Amino acid sequence: MSIAIRGVSKRFAGSQAVNDVSLDVPAGELVALLGPSGCGKTTLLRIVAGLEVPDAGTILFHGEDATERHVRERRVGFVFQHYALFRHMSVLDNVAFGLRVRPKIDRPDDGEIRRRAHELLQLVHLDGVAARLPSELSGGQRQRVALARALAVEPSVLLLDEPFGSLDARVRKQLRRWLRRLHDEIHVTSVFVTHDQEEALEVSDRVVIMNEGRIEQVGTPTQVYEEPATEFVYRFLGDVNLFHGRLVRPHDVDVARTAQGASAVLAEVRHIRPFGAVVRVELDRVDEGESVEVEVARDRYLELALQKGDRVYLSPRVTQIPARFGGEQPAQT
Amino acid sequence: MTGPSVARPRVEPTAEPVLVRRLLTATALVFLAAFLVLPLAVVITEAFSKGVLAYFAALRDPDTLSAVRLTLITAAIAVPLNLTFGVAAAWAITKFSFPGRRILVALIDVPFTVSPVISGMVFVLLFGSQGWFGPWLSEHDVKIVFAVPGIVLATVFVTFPFVARELIPLMEEQGTEEEEAALVLGASGWQIFRRVTLPNIKWGLMYGVILCNARAMGEFGAVSVVSGHVRGLTNTLPLHVEILYNEYRLAAAFAVASLLSLLGIATLVGKRIIEGGERRTRTRMSADAPDGALAA
Repeated sequence: MSIAIRGVSKRFAGSQAVNDVSLDVPAGELVALLGPSGCGKTTLLRIVAGLEVPDAGTILFHGEDATERHVRERRVGFVFQHYALFRHMSVLDNVAFGLRVRPKIDRPDDGEIRRRAHELLQLVHLDGVAARLPSELSGGQRQRVALARALAVEPSVLLLDEPFGSLDARVRKQLRRWLRRLHDEIHVTSVFVTHDQEEALEVSDRVVIMNEGRIEQVGTPTQVYEEPATEFVYRFLGDVNLFHGRLVRPHDVDVARTAQGASAVLAEVRHIRPFGAVVRVELDRVDEGESVEVEVARDRYLELALQKGDRVYLSPRVTQIPARFGGEQPAQT
Repeated sequence: MTGPSVARPRVEPTAEPVLVRRLLTATALVFLAAFLVLPLAVVITEAFSKGVLAYFAALRDPDTLSAVRLTLITAAIAVPLNLTFGVAAAWAITKFSFPGRRILVALIDVPFTVSPVISGMVFVLLFGSQGWFGPWLSEHDVKIVFAVPGIVLATVFVTFPFVARELIPLMEEQGTEEEEAALVLGASGWQIFRRVTLPNIKWGLMYGVILCNARAMGEFGAVSVVSGHVRGLTNTLPLHVEILYNEYRLAAAFAVASLLSLLGIATLVGKRIIEGGERRTRTRMSADAPDGALAA
C-alpha cells in the first residue's frame, strides 16, 4: 500500500519539528528517512503511524485520506527504537498480542494465533526462544521479536524508528542486511528512520534526506550520493575537504610524492588508519595548517609507502560536485 | 603479562576498625530493642496480665466487636476507593501531560503534610452542625460528622496518597512506550491497561494497598476528631483502645492493642513477601543475555 504525505507540519513548544513536508512512498518500497538528530524524521514517522497528530496537512494510505483515522485502525506495524517489548510477557505472547486484542469477530481462535506467532518467530529465526522473557534476550534478538510482533497484525505499512540504533556495530550490519532480504521476501511498504548514512544508503530503495523539519532531497542511494541536490546533503553523506573553495570527498583526493598540476597543495601526514581495502590518512596542510582527510586504495598506499610525518602533494580529482557549492565561500572543513 | 593471580586482600569501602563497627551495630540494636521490641513485648504481656480468659473476654466484649466491625468496614471502603483513585491519578500523571499536572502531584501529598487532627477538623467544619453544609444536612436528616460516613471520609482523606505515591515513580520509570506499542497493535484503552500497564505495576500496587490498609485501620488523629466516640457506634479500634485505657481497664486496652499490633506484624510480613516477589521478577528481568546474533 502506498503512502502519500501532503503538506504536513507539526510544531512542538516553540520548535517547528516538521515543516510543510510532502512525500510519496510507492507501494512495496523500502524508504529511509535520513537526517541528523532533531531534523524531524521521527516526528514524521510518528505522524504517519498516527501516534502524533499533524497541525496541518494530510496522510493518504493507498490514496485514501487517513489523517483522521485512529492509530488502531491504520493497520501499521511500528518498531520502536527501544523495541518497547511487553516486559512481563513471553516472546510468543508478545508476538501474539496484536491478534489477541482483536474484537471477537475477526479474532482467530487461540490455536491459530499460536500457530501464526510461531510462524513469524521462524521467519525471524527465533522460534527457539518463544518461551523466554524479553529481558532474557540479546539486543539483536529483541529487535527481531519487535519486528515479528509488528508483522503479526499483517500491517499494510511497516514503520521502523531507528531500528538498529541501540545495537553494537557487528549485529547492526548483520541485521540490516537481513532486513533488506526480509523486505525482498515480504514486500510490505516500509519506512525506516535513521541518522546513519551508511545504513540508509545500504538498505533502502530510496533515501529521503531531512534537515530542520524539511526534506532536502529524495532519490535512490546512488542519486543522492552522486548528485547531491544541496550542500547539506553533500556534507551529510560523507566527510568533505575544502580545496580552493571547492568541497571534495576524501576518496576524490589524489596523493603523490611530487606536485601534480598547479592546484596541488603540500601536506604533512599526521595519522594513518591502515585497516581494510581503503586506508584513511589524516594530513595537515603545510600552507594553512588545516586538516584534510583522504582515502587511499590499499595498493596505492603501499606503493607510496606513506609514513607519519611525510610530506606529500594533494590534488583534488575532477569532481562531479555542482559548482554552486564550490562557488559559495562559507564552507569550512 | 598476567601471571597467576595473586590473592589480594579485598579493599573494603568502609575501613572502620572492628570496635567502631560493633559499637554502631550495638547502638542500632539497643535502639531497636528499646523503641520497637520492648513496647511490643509490653503490649503482649499487659494484654495477658489477667490471664488468657480475661484476654479473650476483652476481645469478645460487644463494644470491642463493634469497633472491630467498624474498623473493617472503614478499611473495606477506604482501601478500594484509594486504590481506584491512586491508579487513576498515577496513570493520568505519568502517561499524559496536561496543564495542572504538577499541581496535582503536589496536592496528592497534602494528607501527608497536614496534621491528621487538621484533616479531621476540616470535615467537622464542612459537615458539622455549625459547618458550611451543616444546616442543609440536618434539614435532610443526613449525619456525617460523629457518624460512620465521617469516619470513612476522614480515613479516605488521610490514606489517599499511599497508592498514588507508590505508583507514580514506578510508572514514570516505565514510560509510555509499551502502551504506545499496544495501541499501534490495535488494543483498546481498557485492553492496554489490563494487559500491559497493570501487570507492569502489580507489585508496586500491592505494596501501596498494604500500606494504605495498615494506615486505614490504624488511623487515630483524624478519625478521633470526627468520630464523637460513641461507644458501640462510632469507635474504631484505635479509639476503643484509648477509651479503655482512659477508664483504667488496662488489660482490656492492651488486649485490643494486641490486635492492632498483629495487624502491624501482618503488614510487615505481607510487605516482605511482596518485596521478595518483586526482587525475583527483577532478577529474572535483568538476567544477562549473551549478545547472540542471527544464528540464535
